[in-house]
Amino acid sequence: MNPWTEKTESVEEWLGLLRSRPEIMENVTFWHTQPARPARTVSIPANVHPKLVEALRHKGIADLYTHQAASFQAVAAGKHVVTVTPTASGKTLCYNLPVIHTLLHDDSARALYLFPTKALAQDQVAELQELANLMEADIKTHTYDGDTPPTVRQAIRNAGHIVVTNPDMLHSAILPHHTKWVKLFENIKYIIIDELHAYRGVFGSHVANVIRRLKRICRFYGSEPQFLCASATIRNPQEHAERLIGEDVALIDDNGSPAGEKHMVFYNPPVVNKQLGIRRSSVLESQKLAAMLLKSGIQTIVFARSRVRVEILLTYLQENIKHELGKKSIRGYRGGYLPKLRREIERGLRNGEIRGVVSTNALELGIDIGQLQACVLNGYPGTIASTWQQSGRAGRRQGSSVTFLVASSNPLDQYLIQNPDYFLGRPPEEARIHPDNLLILLDHLKCAAYELPFEEGDTFGGEKLTDLLEFLAEEKVLHRVGNRWYWMEQAFPAHSISLRSAAQENFVIIDQTDGHRVIGEVDRFSAPTLIHEEAIYLHEGVQYQVEKLDYPEKKAYVREVNVDYFTDANLAVELKVLHVDLESTSGALQRQYGEVTVMAKPTIFKKIRLRTHENIGSGPIYLPEEILHTSGYWFSFSEEESGKRSANDMQMALLGLANVLIHLAPLHLMCDPLDIRVVPQVKAVHTKRPTIYFYDRYPGGIGLSQRLYEKHEELLEEAGRLIMGCGCLSGCPACVGPIEEVGLLGKNLALSLLQGTRESS
Amino acid sequence: MSGLRERLERLRAQSPEVAAESIQAETTVSAKSEEHLLHADFRHIGVELKSNENGQFLLRRIVYPFPYRHGRYELAELREGASHLSPIAMRQNQNSEPIDANKLLFLDTETTGLGVGTGNVPFMVGFGYYTERAFVVEQTLIRHPGEEKAMLSYLLGHMKDKSHLVTYNGRTFDWPVLVNRFILNGWRRSGPEPGHLDFLHPSRALWRNTLPSCRLSIVEEERLGIQREHDVPGSMAPALYFQYLSDHNPIHLHGVYAHNEKDVLTLASLAVHFGKLLGGISRDAEDEGPEGEELFRTACWLEKHGNTESAERLFDLLGDREELGDGSGWSLALAARYKRAGQHERALPLWRKSAEKAENSALPKLDAHVELAIYYEHRDKQLLTALTYAEKALELAHMRARLSRDSASRNEEKEALLRRVTRLRDKVSRERM
Repeated sequence: MNPWTEKTESVEEWLGLLRSRPEIMENVTFWHTQPARPARTVSIPANVHPKLVEALRHKGIADLYTHQAASFQAVAAGKHVVTVTPTASGKTLCYNLPVIHTLLHDDSARALYLFPTKALAQDQVAELQELANLMEADIKTHTYDGDTPPTVRQAIRNAGHIVVTNPDMLHSAILPHHTKWVKLFENIKYIIIDELHAYRGVFGSHVANVIRRLKRICRFYGSEPQFLCASATIRNPQEHAERLIGEDVALIDDNGSPAGEKHMVFYNPPVVNKQLGIRRSSVLESQKLAAMLLKSGIQTIVFARSRVRVEILLTYLQENIKHELGKKSIRGYRGGYLPKLRREIERGLRNGEIRGVVSTNALELGIDIGQLQACVLNGYPGTIASTWQQSGRAGRRQGSSVTFLVASSNPLDQYLIQNPDYFLGRPPEEARIHPDNLLILLDHLKCAAYELPFEEGDTFGGEKLTDLLEFLAEEKVLHRVGNRWYWMEQAFPAHSISLRSAAQENFVIIDQTDGHRVIGEVDRFSAPTLIHEEAIYLHEGVQYQVEKLDYPEKKAYVREVNVDYFTDANLAVELKVLHVDLESTSGALQRQYGEVTVMAKPTIFKKIRLRTHENIGSGPIYLPEEILHTSGYWFSFSEEESGKRSANDMQMALLGLANVLIHLAPLHLMCDPLDIRVVPQVKAVHTKRPTIYFYDRYPGGIGLSQRLYEKHEELLEEAGRLIMGCGCLSGCPACVGPIEEVGLLGKNLALSLLQGTRESS
Repeated sequence: MSGLRERLERLRAQSPEVAAESIQAETTVSAKSEEHLLHADFRHIGVELKSNENGQFLLRRIVYPFPYRHGRYELAELREGASHLSPIAMRQNQNSEPIDANKLLFLDTETTGLGVGTGNVPFMVGFGYYTERAFVVEQTLIRHPGEEKAMLSYLLGHMKDKSHLVTYNGRTFDWPVLVNRFILNGWRRSGPEPGHLDFLHPSRALWRNTLPSCRLSIVEEERLGIQREHDVPGSMAPALYFQYLSDHNPIHLHGVYAHNEKDVLTLASLAVHFGKLLGGISRDAEDEGPEGEELFRTACWLEKHGNTESAERLFDLLGDREELGDGSGWSLALAARYKRAGQHERALPLWRKSAEKAENSALPKLDAHVELAIYYEHRDKQLLTALTYAEKALELAHMRARLSRDSASRNEEKEALLRRVTRLRDKVSRERM
C-alpha cells in the first residue's frame, strides 16, 4: 500500500512521512521550524462602548490581543498609528475598534477607508456591516468605486458613515469633486490605510501625493483626521507610514495573536545538466509537492509568479488528482477572473469545499479565505516580505502548517535557496517611496491646484513650493493673483494622471491568424525589443510573427508561424551623466550618484536558428528613440584594475557582474524588477573607465538608485557570494549568465574583477 | 542635487509641446497700474466696475424696454404666459411654486472648462429678469479668480426674490458649478434650493428626432427665428478668457459678452415658446405644418404635461394626414396609442399607410404588417386578409435578414412570423372545409 494515497490526520504526520523519503529529502536544502506561539491577551479596555463590547462577545471575542488593545489606546490618545502584524492576526480590529467606537458615540462622525484593490474593499464592507447588524446600530458602510451605481452615489456622499474606496478613486473622483463631499470632509475623524506596504515605488509615491491633497482638503473643511494604518511585515513600517502620510506615527508591532507550529522548507529541483546548470522545472516539482499534499487531504495554496504559470500548474494538478478529488475542488485564482467567480472561490476556500487553489500574488493581500494548512511557492516571490505574506496563508492558530519554497533556476532563487540565512537572518525589505519626484510632484500639484487655489506660505512636499507654482504659472496652467495661484486650464488634470502608470502601459498582442484575438500583453519598455515588426513572439510555446506594430495605439498584430529561428533585438542604450550629486572612492572603485539621461533605440534584430544558435539573417528596426531623464548610480574600476585584463575579458567580466547585480538589486529595493535597469560599459563616456550603471526606469527617478548607492558594499559582497555559491562550472543562467553570453571563463572573470576591487580597498 | 529651477528647465525641454513662450513682463505691470481705471475697451461696451463688501468685479447691464422682439417672440408675452410653464417646473422639481415671470432668473454661465469639478471656474455669469417695463440682462465678469467672491455675492443678491432659475442644462451644469464656488468661498447651503426650469429637457423631448442637435444655437435658429451674426461659439470662451488673463486686453472678451447676452435673451424667448405651447395658445404647430414627427412629439409632450386637450387636437390632426412624410416612426406610435384606447378604426388607416410605405422601401419595417395581421385575425376575422399581411411580413423579414446578415433577434422574429403564417393557413383551410 502506498502511504501517500492515504489521508493523513495532520500536517505533522504528513511531514513525518515526508522525512522518510530520501528521494525528496535530498532536494531539501533547508528546513526551518518556527515553534507554536501562545496568545497574549488583555481584557477589552473599560472605555470601549458597551454595545461594541457586546457585539464582540457575540462574535466570540472576549479579550483583545495585546496589539489590538495597544492600538485602541494609541488612537484614543490622539496619535496616528501603524499596526504591523502578520496575516490572520486580527489586524482589521485594530482600526475597526476605534472607528466603530467613535461612530457609536457620535453619529455625525465619518471615516474613510483606503484599500489598494476593489476586492479588499468589498470584504471590508461585509465585515463592518456584520458588526453593525450585531449591534443593531445605524452605521452605513459603502464602497465607492468604479462599480458603484450612479443612483446610490449621492446617498453615499451625504449619508455614508464609512466610505470604503481605493487611492485611484480618491484621486480622480472624490478629491476633484470634494464640494459634493462636504459632509464627509467636515466630519472626517479617521482615515484608514490598510495594506500600507502595497504603496511603494512609483505607485506609493503617487499615493503619498494623493494623501497630501487629501489632507489639504480636510484642512479646508476644518477637520484634522487621524490616520490608522496597517501593514504587512516590512523593515521600515514606521518610516514608510510617516513618509506616506507626512505625520509622526506610533508603531504598534507587539503581536499578541497565537500561531501554530510552522515549517519552512526550501526545495531545490535536482540538477539534470551540470555543464549548463539546468535543473528540473520548478513548475513540475511544485506540482508534485502540491499533489502529494492534496492527495493526503491537506488544504493547500500554490503561488505562482505569472498568470500563465497559474494556468499551467492548475491544469497539471487537476489532471494529476482527478481520481482523488473532483475538478471543482482545485481552483485557479488570478487577476482577470470575474469578481463573482472570485467570491465563489473565496467562499469555497473558507468553508473547505475547495481543497486547493493556485494563485498569483492576487491572494497575497488580505482577502479573507480562511487559513489553509500548506503553501507551495513556485519560485521565490521576489521579496522576503512577500514570501512571509504568502506563506502566512498557511497556518492555523492550532496545529502545524508547512510552506515549501521551490526554487526556479533564476539567480535570485538560486542565491536564496543556497543562502537560507539570508532569508531568515535579516529583516524583510524596506518599502521605498519618493513623493518629491519632480514629475510626480508636479502632476499632483496640478490636481491640488484644481481642487483648491494655493496661497503663499502653503506647503506641499519637500521642494520649494513657490518655485514650482511659478513654473506652472509660466506654463499657463496656473494663474497668479497677488499671493495666490489658481487653476486656469480647460483640462481636468486627474484624468491624464494614472497612479499606476509605469507598469500599466501595456502593448496588447493581437493574433490575426483566425479573426482577431488578444493573446497577451507586453510592457511598454520591453515592447521595442520583443514585438518589433518581424519579431518572433513566443506565447504558450507557439511561434507568432509580428506583422504590424502600431506604436501609438500600443497594439501588435501577429500571425502564427512555424519557423526554425527566434529573433533577438539589439537595443542601443546611450547614457549621459547630467549631474553628479554624490560620490566616493574606495580602492579601485569609484562610485557616483546623480542625474542621467538614457536614450534607448532598438537598432537591428538578428534571426538565430533554434538549437545551433547560428546567425541566419538580420533586419533593421524602425522605432522612435525613447529618452528618459532619471537618477542613476554607477561605479567604475580604476585604470590599474582594468589594466590587468584584456578589453574582451573586461567586457565579459562586466557583463557577468551586471547580470548578477540586476537580479540582486530588486531584492534590496523591494521594487519590481522592471523598475531598475543595469548597463555595463567597458569605456563609459562620463568616467572613461569600465563602468556599471544603474538607473531608475521612471522619469525623474524614484529613489531606487540612491538607495543602491548607499548599499553599494553590501550589494557587491552578495554578488560575490552568489557567484561563488553557484554550483555551475563556468557560468549559468543562475549566476553570471549562460556561457553563450559571457563566454567559457565568464564566471571566473566576474569573480576576479570583484575580488580585485575588494583586495585593493 | 542640482537646483530646482535647473531641473524644472530640463523638464520643460523634455516636453516640447508645453515649451511655452515666456510672458511679457511689461503687460503685467501696465495692467496692475490700471487697477482703478477701467480699460476703455471695457467701458465702450458698457462695462462698469462694481464693488461690494467682498471686493470688486465688473458688471454690464443692458435694458431692453418693452416692446422688444427677440426672434419670433415679443419678450413681454411671457408676463401673461408664464403660469403655463408650471407643468415643466412640476416635473423638474419636487415641489414648485407657481410660475410668475417676475420671479424668474434666466441664467447662463461661461466657464473655464468642462465638467463640474472644483477647478472649473465660471468667469462670467449672465442673468436676466423681468421688470415692469423691460427685460434686463446683467453680466458679471471677474478679471481674475480673486474677484470671484464679490461676483458670487452679487449674484446671490439677485437670486433672493426669485423662485426659479431658467437655464439650458443648468440643472446638471451651471448650477452645480456655482454651488462648487459657493462652497469653495466658504458658504454653506441654507434654505431651500432654487427651483429649476431647465429647457434642455423639453427641447430634447420635442426636437430630438427633427433637429440635427439640441444645442441652444440650433434650436433658436431653427425654431425661434433667431439669427446670430459673428457669434463666438461658447466652446471658444475659455481660450478667449485665458488670452485676456495673459494680456489683459478686453477686446478678447467682446465676443463672449455678446454670446452670453444672446443666450440669456434666447432663454426668455424659449420660455415664451414653451408657455404658448402649453397654454394651447400657439397654433403654429398646425399652421406651419411641421413634420409629423415633431407634431407627434409635441402632442406626447403636451399630454405628459397635463394638457390633454391640445394634445388630442394634435393627435387628431396627425391621424387625418394623408401623407406620412419622411420620418414616419410616429405613425406606428400613434396607431399603438389608438389601439391601446380601443380605437382600432383610427389605427387602421395609419397601419395601412405605413404598410404601403414599407412595401416601397428598400429597408422595410414590418411592424405595420404584423399589426394588420393581428387585427384581421382577431378583430375583423378576415383570415385571408390576415394571411396576406402575415405572408408579406415574412417576406419583408427575409429581406431584412439578408441585409443585416441574420442576427439572432431577427431569427426570433422570423420564427414568430412563421408560426403565425402556419396557424393562419391552418385556420383558412379549416374554414374552407
